[in-house]
Amino acid sequence: MKTTKPVLVLATATALALTAAGCGSKGASQSSGSDSGPLTIGASLSLTGELAREGQLTKEGYQLCQSKVNAKGGVKVGDTKRKLSIKYQDDTSEPDTAAQLVDQFNDKGIKLMLASYGSTNTEAQAAVVERNGQVMVDSAGADDKIFQKGYQRTFAVLSPATEYSASIVDAMADADPAPKTVAFLSADDGFSKTVTKGGIAEAKKKGMKVVGEEYFPAGSTDVSSSLNKVKGKNPDAIIGSVHLEEGVAIVKQAHELHVVPSGGFGETVAPPTPDFAKTLGDQAENVLGSSQWTPTTQGHDTYFGTAKDYAADVKATFGHAPDYHDAEASAACLALTLAVEKAGSAKPDKVRDALSSLDTPSFFGHIKFNSKGQNVYKPMSVIQVQNGEAVTVWPQSAAETKMVWPGTGA
Amino acid sequence: MTAFAQATLYGLLQGGLLALIAVGFSLVWGVMNVINLAHGAFVILGAYVAWKLNAALGLDPFLGMLAAAAVLFVLGYVVQRYLVNLVVNAPIFITLLLTFGLSLLLVQGMNILFTANYRGIHTSYASESLAVGGVRVPLGRLLAFGVAVAVTLLLVAFVKRTRTGMSIMATGMDRGAARLMGIRAHHVYALTFGIAAALAGMAGSMIGTVGSFNPAAAGGYTLLSFVIAVLGGLGNMYGALVGGLVIGLVESWGGQYLPGTWVSALAFAVLVLVLIVRPSGLVGRAFYASRVEV
Repeated sequence: MKTTKPVLVLATATALALTAAGCGSKGASQSSGSDSGPLTIGASLSLTGELAREGQLTKEGYQLCQSKVNAKGGVKVGDTKRKLSIKYQDDTSEPDTAAQLVDQFNDKGIKLMLASYGSTNTEAQAAVVERNGQVMVDSAGADDKIFQKGYQRTFAVLSPATEYSASIVDAMADADPAPKTVAFLSADDGFSKTVTKGGIAEAKKKGMKVVGEEYFPAGSTDVSSSLNKVKGKNPDAIIGSVHLEEGVAIVKQAHELHVVPSGGFGETVAPPTPDFAKTLGDQAENVLGSSQWTPTTQGHDTYFGTAKDYAADVKATFGHAPDYHDAEASAACLALTLAVEKAGSAKPDKVRDALSSLDTPSFFGHIKFNSKGQNVYKPMSVIQVQNGEAVTVWPQSAAETKMVWPGTGA
Repeated sequence: MTAFAQATLYGLLQGGLLALIAVGFSLVWGVMNVINLAHGAFVILGAYVAWKLNAALGLDPFLGMLAAAAVLFVLGYVVQRYLVNLVVNAPIFITLLLTFGLSLLLVQGMNILFTANYRGIHTSYASESLAVGGVRVPLGRLLAFGVAVAVTLLLVAFVKRTRTGMSIMATGMDRGAARLMGIRAHHVYALTFGIAAALAGMAGSMIGTVGSFNPAAAGGYTLLSFVIAVLGGLGNMYGALVGGLVIGLVESWGGQYLPGTWVSALAFAVLVLVLIVRPSGLVGRAFYASRVEV
């Protein structure tokens, strides 16, 4: 056994990662703070690496926003209309790289930013944005932690992380019979943990007994131990704070291990993704999930129209059913556009002030920020997989159909 | 007690699958002293082959597994014969760089070809389970476990009883002497790499059947193979099987009785412990550390 080998593997990987991360350079100035020419916005995106799927959807959302805004002549800044020009860079799903790219954009004079995908990337970026005096609209970083640091320059259009499983708890509490006991399974990344804490607090508020709280490493495709642990406690409902792969694992392995809650399963962001039903087939039926946006979300705006119009646009442009990842990205871009128009300037400080007082309906629901920069004014929707499709079942005002309960048929 | 039995059974079944993932990696390392960082990418590529055949033709993944093995064998053979063989005598750093680059190429290629969406091969039976007492025996995992053990036994028989197998071992032990005996080392190397890739492809099909995958998962499987190969030890075909089963059991028991987030740390703690007590791995041969490369 040559003990140097693991060291070499690490050294190689590190060297390559460093080379990849450091190969950007200062280019010509493309100031987004200037008063003429196209309005340049910087966006670091996870186009490769583990978040490549969501990164691609986020890019679609930004692209659709750019084409919609430019189709109307561009962003109205004062008396002139300026075309929107979003510059993309790949951060390889690495928070460090995402943060470096923010710096690179700043070096080029680009002050207005759209965030990368996910809480970890966004959190890393927010610190740099604050330091550089840039302004960023966050499309997919929902972790409340990002907004507890007193940052003044990051605004999230999406509902906070605590709402993800709390909304599922609320939907279950409205069901008949409402579950009396509930177990929480969760990935151990910051976002998922915040989601779980929010769900537990809401469950207790609704008088449910929390009989299990199990964490597993994020990205696990084997969650059998956690399922085994809650099996003996016979919860009426199992709520997972998960990403797609862990969500698929919970349903598959619960089936294998015959873990059948009398009420049903809820799994935050996994079920709204079309891949969830595709991968699981029949087993996906009746699993609840929470979504930032659905095609029945209420509200409309001048650029995108209603949620239904938006869904049709995504289908026509990208050839797939609308995903909420598209919508939240478009909404972030929309918020930035509206703020620039409101400020009548692309100067970062003025845009920041305009964002903090923005209060507008949109295809994405109400966009308005609290003092921390979170959009707490928009409810989340709860969806259920019925006949292989994710349909909105809660809140009542946006429901497409009735929730099937108990979801497990028990 | 039921929970313990369930955890043990699940750990063993999972361990068998892990063993199948790592056995090819261990073979290549043991015979050629090449740490193939593209191994995980081979696993995922195998999963895609089985998935594509299932989606397009409705082929059962346990048959698709054979097609995946064939495709990966050819790919592995070609890669070794015309690429890795060029640098196989160079310092290990060069082969590491080469296979790392190959891995990037394959992963990004799959990203473009299949998108980064998560996939799973859906069958009517793989998620069903048999009840034995209070313990559930998942059918898909049981089959995958059976395949893993059968493949390992076949590999042992192949290496011990056939002329080709023995020439692989002989080349692994002393390349110079093997050449003097008339063994074509370049062909044997390519054959070894092809077999390893084929086994990775089979493992990938199993992963796709009992779980889900996407291109980004490749790195995780390479790391896992590394841990299992080191734990089991090189130079013994049973090394990966023993290593896989140990990791499977440790993760399952650890997950059952400790906070679930500790499992990865626990698996590495076991690795460190084993290396302190048995530096050549659980069933590895110390000989491989001191062999002469000619």
